[in-house]
Amino acid sequence: MKMISTRQLITLQTRVILSLLLRETRATFGTSSFGYIWAIVTPAASVGLLVLIFDLGGRIAPFGESLALFFATGILTLQLFNELSGKLMTALNANKALLTYPIIKDMDTLIARILLVSITYMLIMVVFFSVLIWLDLASLPARIETVIAAYFATIVIGSGIGMTNALITSFWDTWKQIEKIITRPLFFISGIFYVPSQLPPEAISVLKWNPILHLVEWYRQGYYPNYSSLILDKSYPVFLGVGFLLIGVAGERLFRKVRN
Amino acid sequence: MLSLDRVCKSYTLKGVQKVIFHEVTWSFPTDRNVAIMGKNGAGKSTLMRLLSGAELPDRGHVYRDQKVSWPLGFSGGFNGSMTGLENIRFVARIYGQDTDRVTEYVENFSELGRSLRLPIKTYSSGMKARLAFGLSMAIDFEVYLIDEITAVGDENFKKKSNRVFKNKLSNSQIIMVSHSAKTIKDYCDCGILISDSSINFFGTCEELLEAYKEQARG
Repeated sequence: MKMISTRQLITLQTRVILSLLLRETRATFGTSSFGYIWAIVTPAASVGLLVLIFDLGGRIAPFGESLALFFATGILTLQLFNELSGKLMTALNANKALLTYPIIKDMDTLIARILLVSITYMLIMVVFFSVLIWLDLASLPARIETVIAAYFATIVIGSGIGMTNALITSFWDTWKQIEKIITRPLFFISGIFYVPSQLPPEAISVLKWNPILHLVEWYRQGYYPNYSSLILDKSYPVFLGVGFLLIGVAGERLFRKVRN
Repeated sequence: MLSLDRVCKSYTLKGVQKVIFHEVTWSFPTDRNVAIMGKNGAGKSTLMRLLSGAELPDRGHVYRDQKVSWPLGFSGGFNGSMTGLENIRFVARIYGQDTDRVTEYVENFSELGRSLRLPIKTYSSGMKARLAFGLSMAIDFEVYLIDEITAVGDENFKKKSNRVFKNKLSNSQIIMVSHSAKTIKDYCDCGILISDSSINFFGTCEELLEAYKEQARG
């Protein structure tokens, strides 16, 4: 019996994932290239609006000169996480029809969505920070490599939790609603509009369990030349993310036969 | 070669377990076109999905070392909000085909004309079936799995479909589910009958059809 070599399998999977990526882009953002521009403009504009509201309310930046920069570092990180964990959660059920083409496997649809969200958010961040720099509301990031590392750590944990969500949802649909309730407070407990290190120690001892808070701190430490965090432990979100990824991947494999 | 090795498959719905296959071991001949018959619910479509790889057996293995099609005859898998052309390109891409060649082929074959530029959700079921059939013919598979193919379109289109399909048969093998004696005699030269969670092979269509009638009576 003929066997397929590993290289052929990798070529095949890459081909399938790229096709899915193209398809998802079109399905989500419409067929015109203008549709994809909206996908970048909308989140950027919503952050801009939030900044404007706080600015009109007479709020000053908790750190640094620019309120907009401070918010953006927090909220874009949180949104990237939310988008990944949410989009992956529905990936298995939404793409059931696709699995009629046996060449497409569940894991391919998950990977395609991770790529789509990650690339979109990378563009959003580049556009948003470029506009801030152009408006003189921000400078270039102090340590770009740290910012990039924080971005990838966010992708790891977002994908890990997203895959785990997808797995739970494929057995128990109500999880979608419950997950929404659980993740809603993240907006308030992830240090988006305050500097976590300035909170009382009792608050810190609780909030430090939130991995998204660490990601936000990580991102800021990269962006600002002098942002020092009492809380940041880079290994925590990374280990948690890898842990969830393993649960997601192993679960997908173990329950493959029962799920369908 | 397509073969099943101790394959078990059952479904559980609302607490009721229905065994479709129990410990089925069987290798399909590689040089013959095989018909699949059985009562409703016996597991014909399940067998197709197992062979294509769209579904996994509960236990056992399915081995396939040829390029096997998806189970044809269905028109699912199309994304309703995407246009016909986009769907064609997508399927061509995942199967590693030249998208321009496949698009051209389907355009010519399906006779859908400018409708291909409209979203699939605006299509009638006949249009969808034409698109699905054209698309599957545009891609070269070594084994075609056909689940109750229903003739679509007017006389001309039926003739054309038949011609293209017969032409395919000269280089490819088919495995076909059908209830129609005429269709089976037209395309197949042997067959299997699914009953009581197992499969029985018959070397000629006549024997197969005889056994099928027998089963229906009994």
